[in-house]
Amino acid sequence: MKFIFFLLLFFAASCSQKDSHLRDNGNITLVFKQGKIGDPEPIKKLLEKFEQENPGTKVKEETLPASTDEQHQFYAINLESKSSDFDVFSMDVIWVPEFARAGWLRNLNHLMPEEEKEKFFPGPRQAVQFNNNIYAIPWYIDAGLIYYRKDLLEKYGFGPPKTWPELLHIAQYISPREKGIYGYIWQGKQYEGLVCNVLEYFWGNGGRIIKDGQVAIASPENVFALQFMRDMITRYKITPALVTTAMEETTRYIFGNSRALFMRNWPYAWKLFEKNGSLVKGKVGICPLPSFPGKDSASTLGGWQLGINRFTKHPKEAEKLLRFLTSASAQKFLSLAIGYQPARKSLYQDEELIKNQPFLVSLYGIFEKARPRPVTPYYMMISQVMQPEFSAALLGIKKPAEALASTQRQIIHILGMEK
Amino acid sequence: MIGRENGAKFVAPALIVLFLVTIYPILYAFFLSFHRRLLIFDLDKFVGLENYLFLLRDDRFWNALTNTFYFTAGSVSLELLLGLAIALLLNKPFKFRGLIRALVLIPWAIPTVVSAKMWEWIFDADFGLLNYLMGAKVNWLGNPLLAMPVAIFVDVWKTTPFVAILLMAGLQVIPRELYQSAKMDGAGNWAMFRKITLPLLKPVILVVLIFRTLDAFRVFDVIYVLTGGGPANTTETLSIYAYRVLFQTLQFGYGSTLSVVVFFCVASISVFYIKILIQENK
Repeated sequence: MKFIFFLLLFFAASCSQKDSHLRDNGNITLVFKQGKIGDPEPIKKLLEKFEQENPGTKVKEETLPASTDEQHQFYAINLESKSSDFDVFSMDVIWVPEFARAGWLRNLNHLMPEEEKEKFFPGPRQAVQFNNNIYAIPWYIDAGLIYYRKDLLEKYGFGPPKTWPELLHIAQYISPREKGIYGYIWQGKQYEGLVCNVLEYFWGNGGRIIKDGQVAIASPENVFALQFMRDMITRYKITPALVTTAMEETTRYIFGNSRALFMRNWPYAWKLFEKNGSLVKGKVGICPLPSFPGKDSASTLGGWQLGINRFTKHPKEAEKLLRFLTSASAQKFLSLAIGYQPARKSLYQDEELIKNQPFLVSLYGIFEKARPRPVTPYYMMISQVMQPEFSAALLGIKKPAEALASTQRQIIHILGMEK
Repeated sequence: MIGRENGAKFVAPALIVLFLVTIYPILYAFFLSFHRRLLIFDLDKFVGLENYLFLLRDDRFWNALTNTFYFTAGSVSLELLLGLAIALLLNKPFKFRGLIRALVLIPWAIPTVVSAKMWEWIFDADFGLLNYLMGAKVNWLGNPLLAMPVAIFVDVWKTTPFVAILLMAGLQVIPRELYQSAKMDGAGNWAMFRKITLPLLKPVILVVLIFRTLDAFRVFDVIYVLTGGGPANTTETLSIYAYRVLFQTLQFGYGSTLSVVVFFCVASISVFYIKILIQENK
């Protein structure tokens, strides 16, 4: 009995010790949490700068595994138990409404007055809102786009396609004439990336998932778009069946090996194609995703936002850190150092940055039109329902109309769960 | 001081730990399975059997259950057959036997996630080694009919050595004299295998079956890495579905219902085997 008592005492002591350690000689230690990225040095430098500007505040950087799923799981479990072990953290664009609804994020309305909001792209601006309140500040932006082989298109006298029929035509024309070149590759494995791909066809045909508060995923526009994706594989044969297992890196690898004419991917692939020694260096062009004739093109928004843990013990300092990290100068610094695309529009006119990353200029128009996936706290559940159904439609296990009707039913069930 | 009456006190710490780490979570999962608990909505209410009724109508659950049985039956039977063959081979004396025995264990020694990733690349439809060697373009992991057989193959590749080693240990305790006298009586190899090896190996085979069936039934990592449950959920097993519901979409009530079902399946499998074992020993 005595032993257990001492054991408890020991735990209690070590716990309180940890607590007081955070306030060492009047210092406050903030914890900044984010997923693992390529080179951690730039972020460390940035945090050091923050510490110099804010004497008395220390920032500890903690990283999570690169897998987005694992990060989501970590935050959900820790925030559910009201953990205050981290103060400022980065969130995937699809998490903000969910975390906000759960009450895990501090309201940041006061940091985003109208004139400040205007400085960000419209997509992320929408994605950080929930019930007309702001819960995060956009940090990096990402969006789907088309990579094409400039040299091959020029060789046959084509320009970049604006509509899906145009892309289809070009691919059907060139691919048989160039040995070992697939027409068009994209990400069709059953995972979140599949949803990103499919939504671009829905939107490009004027379709929606939720329209005016009603589930509208089984609309004729969407059925048509999904059928088109299936047809590219089986009927038009511009897309190899292997896309049904492809993720970003699979397609990037094929395109980078000079084995495809068109590819849908995120901006990160550009730098890898332009690297010395790359087989396609100087041969790659980018353009926005095509749309169906007469409709607007849109690409799926990705990217990361910074928010503040509702249970933080240092809200004031956390806010300072958040403002610092999302400031124009910090976003510029990170863009120069790691090459991420800043969420602030003004930086796309920053001479130094453009000189260093000329690619950014052509991304501006794409980012302007990037659309968030349904901004709802139910998004994760909805996505889990969409993934297998889309996959089934691409494989021909279900007809697109069937798959979307079944998705529609399941989404309605999910939206009714709260009652 | 140390008498029978003190036994309880000595056992108590172990029991308490056991209660805290296994029995309490199981009971708690039961409790949760009768609730609708959605973390993000701060929703937590008692709904009785609603989750279980939904489960009966949930196509995704039945699909996952079918897949799980498919995987379990496929992988366990192949592993047992191959494992037995390898064990019999390795039990014969030959040169470098020790070395070969060690080499056979390599697949088992590689962490599952690593080997699954490796196979994912080998089976890749475009630049995979297998298609290259076959000169074909088979969409192994993207074809709904092939994905599960591939997953079973990868599991068999990894786990057969484990089965073989256990069976080999069983073979080595069979007294040699039995074979010698059988030979003198004119028994052939097949007769000896059926009348001596198999009956005497039966307890070990049962233990292997218990281990493997339970493991296969809860399969997660191989499939999660290889296909993520796709294409079109054709490889989604119960554990993967439960993980999605519990940790990706944070539906703790329904997720617990799924876990309870897995628990019951696993428990009935164990009881089934243990009954056979007890009968054997009678």
